[in-house]
Amino acid sequence: MRARYPDSDGFVVRDGAEIRYERYGEGWPAILLLPPWSLVHSRHWKMQIPYLARHFTVVCFDGRGSGGSSRPTDASAYSDVAFASDALAVMDATGIGSAILVSVSRGALWALRLCAEHPDRVLGSVFISPSARLMPPPAERRVERFDEVIDDPVGWQTYNAHYWKTHYSDFVTFFVGRIFTEPHSTRPIEDATGWALETDGETLAAADRGIERCDAAATRRLAAQVDCPVLVMPGTQDMVRGYADGEALASCTGGAMVTLEGSGHFPHVRDPVRVNLLIRQFAEGVRR
Amino acid sequence: MTHTATWTRGPCRPRRALYLSSPIGLGHARRDVAIAKELKRLRPELDIDWLAQHPVTAVLEAEGEHIHPASRWLASESAHVAAEAAGHDLHCFQALRRMDEILVANFMVFQEVVEEGCYDLVIGDEAWDVDYYWHENPELKRGQNVWLTDFVGYLPMPDGGDREAFLTTDYNAEMIEHIDRYPWIRDRAIFVGNDEDIVPDTFGGSLPAIRDWTTRHFSYSGYITGFTPPKPDEVIPLRSRLGYRDDELVCVVAVGGSGVGRSLIEKVVAAYPLAKKAVPELRMIVVTGPRIDPAVFPRRAGLDLRGYVHRLYEHLSVCDLAIVQGGLTTTMELTAARRPFLYFPLGHHFEQNFHVRHRLDRYGAGQYMDYATTDPDLIAARITELAGKPVSYRDVETDGAARAAQLIAELI
Repeated sequence: MRARYPDSDGFVVRDGAEIRYERYGEGWPAILLLPPWSLVHSRHWKMQIPYLARHFTVVCFDGRGSGGSSRPTDASAYSDVAFASDALAVMDATGIGSAILVSVSRGALWALRLCAEHPDRVLGSVFISPSARLMPPPAERRVERFDEVIDDPVGWQTYNAHYWKTHYSDFVTFFVGRIFTEPHSTRPIEDATGWALETDGETLAAADRGIERCDAAATRRLAAQVDCPVLVMPGTQDMVRGYADGEALASCTGGAMVTLEGSGHFPHVRDPVRVNLLIRQFAEGVRR
Repeated sequence: MTHTATWTRGPCRPRRALYLSSPIGLGHARRDVAIAKELKRLRPELDIDWLAQHPVTAVLEAEGEHIHPASRWLASESAHVAAEAAGHDLHCFQALRRMDEILVANFMVFQEVVEEGCYDLVIGDEAWDVDYYWHENPELKRGQNVWLTDFVGYLPMPDGGDREAFLTTDYNAEMIEHIDRYPWIRDRAIFVGNDEDIVPDTFGGSLPAIRDWTTRHFSYSGYITGFTPPKPDEVIPLRSRLGYRDDELVCVVAVGGSGVGRSLIEKVVAAYPLAKKAVPELRMIVVTGPRIDPAVFPRRAGLDLRGYVHRLYEHLSVCDLAIVQGGLTTTMELTAARRPFLYFPLGHHFEQNFHVRHRLDRYGAGQYMDYATTDPDLIAARITELAGKPVSYRDVETDGAARAAQLIAELI
């Protein structure tokens, strides 16, 4: 069973894609929990929602390509602008004029779009383990060749569009293992693996290509425009994107940073208590 | 409006405890009320608040205990466990793992309560959320902390194979690491029972033996029944008050408050005509609990189906035979009251199949039954064999609540 069920839920349709959302609680301000990469759907926020919804209005949605949302096959449907536009449509559908954004991983890219281009809709932004592509990825990822056919790929070589067509579940096993680098993470690994297997390799490849234009220069330009309060939480054991990306984002936005020493890429799942308290503290600061 | 607040000088504050009692099964509630009463006898000035949820709240309300208003925010653990059960089966280790979001949600409620309440003492009877997340976030600890449990160590079910053995070992290893790294999180750990009640297993892999480790890290309170069973000369008057005649053999069938027991009731009801034929003086009282409609079972002379029985433990304490699941509380109540009983542990329930069974074997109590391989004929044969027969169980101590309370009172 869930700890809490939504007070309302529904779909918005944008550019032919259905986006499934949930709304919880009633407090002000609203917190919009953004999707990360389409590997997992909005249940990855399950450790945050019951707590935050006792104090704030909480809205989340399944990113396109995941969960109950549509799975477009065209890469152009997965741009950062598309995700940001989905977020605005969900805010409109749920009656949220402005919100605090909370993002994880690649959700940083949609959050930056919203902060920079829709400042009237954003009260503040929390970036957990941002995957903003400001810095090179961890050294172990440098073997990736996404579009090449690789015979018997191992490790990060399995981050590969061809491999995903035939060995998607093997890739998921590898990748989720790199999300949770903390010991004793069997339960989060099972959860994330199950969510990832609800989508498929071709959808994920399209989602990956959709952000090709989000290079470091473009992201820096967006980050420099951010004018709202910012909190960045990078983990020092983040093997998916690396700690340095979070440091760089905090620097570019002038935001505050809380280093999560020993944490991997999904600290909101593995260390939910501290992350919950930090989000609430940030939101209380915005409320004042 | 002006914002106002109050700060109370440290020396002026009353001594306060926050008590958490696991809502999984009703047994914790009664034993915790018994401990609380003994604790208040030792420390009359102590105020106790309860952070509790259904069905524990029903017991607390009946006892006039103070339930903290934040209790309404707690997500239901018992509803989760009921939803995880199917037929006569509950994989309780996996159910506990899948309860992760409920545990976090409830811990966050608890942490707010304990930070606002200036409690001197937190008592958690299998309050898994508090124990886990205080070890994971030790800076959040407030007050002295008491941990109570009646089993130590997750054990794999054989059909779970290597994967389940790996998982139970990993969970046990994490718990052991927690205690090694932060021995000051549990100011006192109390095992509700005695060292011999602990299974002769290890925590898995290269981890230590459970009994040795527990003896190093826990104090033993002895068993806590939560009520005093009737003395021999009180049995006949109590039977009479409950409406049972001397010339009938009363068999009480009870399956707890969740909907899990229906499969077992069906088998026992099917056994009833066979048993009645062999034992004409048999009277069977089947307590279905609130979630199973008694009307769905066939009506037969001498078969009494009831949705709810007030103070069921009194009926169990004077019956001639009981047929129950494998939960610790009910089986130990029957043991303490020296009643013959058949118990059917739920499938895949490691606690009922290993920990409880081991403890009952030590007391020489009860007839273990395997639900999957037991048919109505076998149940009827066991009823015929055991109803009304004397038992030779090891005595169950009656001072467990007082001993636990003494161990707690030493902290404040």
